[in-house]
Amino acid sequence: VVVTGLGVLSPLGADLTSFAENLLAGQSAVAPVSLFDARDFNTRIASEVPQAWMPASTVDRKSEFALRSARAAVAHAQASGAPLSGGGRAGVCVGIGLELFSMPDMVKWLEMEAQSGPSLHNPADDFLQTQADACVHDISREHGLRMMPVVHVSACAASTDALGHAFRLLRDGEADWMLAGGADSMINPMGFAGFCKIQAMTGRNDDPQAASRPFDAQRDGFVLGEGAGMMVLESLQHAQGRGATIYAELLGYGNSFDAFGISEPHPEGKGALLAMRRAFADAQLPAASVRHVNAHGTSTPKNDPAETSALKQLLGEQVEAVSVNASKSMLGHLIAASGAIEVAAQIACANKGWLHPTINLEEVDPNCQLAHIVGAPQRWQAGGVMLKNSFAFGGQNACLVMRVG
Amino acid sequence: MDRAYEPTTGVAMSEAATIVLTGIACTEGDPRASPAVNDWLASRKSRKYMGKQDELAVMSAGQAITGAGLRGCEALSGAGLYWTIGHIPFERAEIEAIARKSLDPHAQFSMHHFATEGIEQVNPLLTFRCLPNMPAFHISLNFGICGPYLVSYPGIAQFYSSLQQACRDLRRQRVVHAVVGAVADQYNFLVDFYFQRATARRSLHRKDAAGCLCLELASTARSRGATVLAQLSDVTLGYDPDAPAAQAGAAASCTDLIEGLAQALQRADARYTHRAQSLDYGQLASLWVR
Repeated sequence: VVVTGLGVLSPLGADLTSFAENLLAGQSAVAPVSLFDARDFNTRIASEVPQAWMPASTVDRKSEFALRSARAAVAHAQASGAPLSGGGRAGVCVGIGLELFSMPDMVKWLEMEAQSGPSLHNPADDFLQTQADACVHDISREHGLRMMPVVHVSACAASTDALGHAFRLLRDGEADWMLAGGADSMINPMGFAGFCKIQAMTGRNDDPQAASRPFDAQRDGFVLGEGAGMMVLESLQHAQGRGATIYAELLGYGNSFDAFGISEPHPEGKGALLAMRRAFADAQLPAASVRHVNAHGTSTPKNDPAETSALKQLLGEQVEAVSVNASKSMLGHLIAASGAIEVAAQIACANKGWLHPTINLEEVDPNCQLAHIVGAPQRWQAGGVMLKNSFAFGGQNACLVMRVG
Repeated sequence: MDRAYEPTTGVAMSEAATIVLTGIACTEGDPRASPAVNDWLASRKSRKYMGKQDELAVMSAGQAITGAGLRGCEALSGAGLYWTIGHIPFERAEIEAIARKSLDPHAQFSMHHFATEGIEQVNPLLTFRCLPNMPAFHISLNFGICGPYLVSYPGIAQFYSSLQQACRDLRRQRVVHAVVGAVADQYNFLVDFYFQRATARRSLHRKDAAGCLCLELASTARSRGATVLAQLSDVTLGYDPDAPAAQAGAAASCTDLIEGLAQALQRADARYTHRAQSLDYGQLASLWVR
């Protein structure tokens, strides 16, 4: 199963070229929140897709992100080779975030309902954003995809699960090509309030670009991000048949539950380790074949050491020879979209011959000692095996093994 | 689109990979005041994190897993969990409490009041109760299931997709047991609001409900001496994204399927077919059971 097209709409670029260049330059997208007045929240910074890149008519940001990145992925896949055709052996798997609502509109609606009773024609009836799964049907319609779409909601692991699911459908011979990835935006008052309440986000408001610091001793929480990453996946035969350029090969997928804690990972990364092992077993490769890990690396106190522990158990002494980077240091945490955008980041950079660094990693936490890429990009040898990790609240872990470049 | 209602040889189970049902359960109503939920919890403390969907999901999964003779079995650890979640589980009382404290002196929404007083009205656990992956988390925690998993959203088409994926995973021996279910909190005020917006949805039969199936290969059931309740003959899906949207449909239809199947089993029907037709975006699905 091969990747033949990538589309991103991210805080670091609305096209693949600028996205990869900014990642390799170690550019942070984190800045004070501009989408609403966040001055009274404990966290006041985020990694936003610039408003200038969005149409003024946007109602639901995550749906807009999904549609545009899907369109870009298909265009990228069709830049070489014969056009893709839709039909019953093509479909879409998307990881998507929680449906939220506009709190100001909700207040108006509750007030009007209290005054005049339930109304079917309430002028404030926009308070619900677009139904979260609507974008998969829009994508299917636009690209003529007739397989039943699948909407993954495994939180921060959702888009990695979507990629893994599409990979399985292709490898099982159920499809010829799939669009897969994720989209999310929780940069709104309700989303921010929720994460502030559970104290998951950083409080480093005065230094936004240094706020997301995975594996660093001074990390204090994640930075919320938004955006989308979508990919065209094809069976090798289908891709070769139409003469497509191949950017990566997906080799294995595994997922697991921690069955442990609601907000914290198993401290030794038990569930994460199980997902990694399942991914390598699925790829029919030994874990020792891996050359690089793109970590989940949230910059939260509990995730990063648990992930480090799992990697050390997976790789043993070899862990010192396997490079590790964390895209969230620059992009922030795109929640349901994080896995897909970070896979796209690895593929885009590796196809230029490089791996991007983890920025803000100034003093590695003693419990997070790995072969981190810091300071400058690191050379990538084409054809090497990578591991991508994504872990969610609720202990849902998804991992992909891929060959890139 | 009619072809979606015909059994297809492509998905039908061969004799060597026959998939059987060994556990089934449905739970309906609001369980929040019920002590029965506690019977299924590894730790009662975890209940404070649970919303209505979480409790319904855990109860139905517990009953189905117990019925299948799998509760406490080591084999359950590697079971696949395929769970479909219904719409938006925010509770009105909590949102109203936030809204009341988010007003300025002129009774207008104020971001300052929202950020400083409004959000203080709710327990931090609200965040967890509203995440769509939480029913799956609570099932995994309370029954020791480590997956793999597929957590999908929000309606019966996704349930059918999950069921189909569970069958693939069983046949390809990626899992030995599959726990397949759905849950919906449909007497929720946001679901009310959402349904009001689409004319065709207003008259829908709605429920707060969850349903769960335990599936395995016939050879697995035979080797462990499990009682076979039914055999899955086929699962078919059809999809036309150009079909008119919003005809009807909601996650309760998943539980209708399971409830209907349970009733058919009680009646000892030789064959049971569930067809889900009235779904958004031309999604059609059918299940054939012997």
